[in-house]
Amino acid sequence: MLTQYEGFAMTEMMGKPDNPPRANGSLCFSSEWERTAFGMALALAKQGYFEWDDFRDELIAEIKTWEDAHPVAHSSWNYYDRWLAALEKATVKTGILDADEIKAAFAA
Amino acid sequence: MDDRFQYRGDREAYSAARVRALEALLIKKGVITDKSVDTVLDFFETRMGPFNGAKIVAKAWSDPAFKDRLVADTPKAIAELNLPEGMAGAEGEHMRAVANGPDVHNLIICTLCSCYPWPVLGLPPYWYKDPTFRSRAAREPRAVLKEFGLAVPDAMEIKVWDSSAQIRWFVVPERPAGTESLSEMELEALITPEAMMGVAVAKAA
Repeated sequence: MLTQYEGFAMTEMMGKPDNPPRANGSLCFSSEWERTAFGMALALAKQGYFEWDDFRDELIAEIKTWEDAHPVAHSSWNYYDRWLAALEKATVKTGILDADEIKAAFAA
Repeated sequence: MDDRFQYRGDREAYSAARVRALEALLIKKGVITDKSVDTVLDFFETRMGPFNGAKIVAKAWSDPAFKDRLVADTPKAIAELNLPEGMAGAEGEHMRAVANGPDVHNLIICTLCSCYPWPVLGLPPYWYKDPTFRSRAAREPRAVLKEFGLAVPDAMEIKVWDSSAQIRWFVVPERPAGTESLSEMELEALITPEAMMGVAVAKAA
């Protein structure tokens, strides 16, 4: 049986604390950067740079940290902000990038 | 008020810049290419999603013989259509369609979220895996549908289909009245994932 990695990855998240926003059965991105952040994480996991579950653990931890620091339904909540933070951490933890490199690229 | 919008705008720009920097860095180091993001997203945007279900249902509405075949042998009927490969395999391989009719309304539920026929319906809404929704929908579907804004007449039977690892159900809703002159493509626009789950009916635009 051929199961597509993308399908497996999304199915894993359904009904879990890190499940992504959806509308009408489709993934729901409110801007281009959210789509890019999503795609980068999935592409890296698909290529084997890190396990999808390890990335999800980072994401769940980021969501928890944010929730602990903010009241429920605070207006500054953005799922893909947490996603991006988790993605940066995952790339550093697995040695794809180092933290200084990311900082330097952002400052450039 | 203005301050808050300003803050949001700044944060958006900040996040966007961080993503651009990260992507550029990963491309520069040869970890990903400038096509990687689009390739992964293509799967959800053009291959597997609710647009497939809409095509299947629109075809069934336009061609009653196809509808009969769809209900009799769903994977075989779907294979007739020019849909992306994998539609009748992987998650979709045990797909079964049930058709609404004048006397019957169908509703699909599932006790495991992985049972959702997502190659056809897309990704499930957040409430689909909610234990309360699942148990109440099985026990008192008429009341639950009413809460979804769908009043099913008392004379109409409601059938509830529990998807499992073996069979993933989806609903062929009734074609709305007043759509006789529409093309298949125009019909597709009227078919929502909710209608194919049976928590709504298809409506003329």
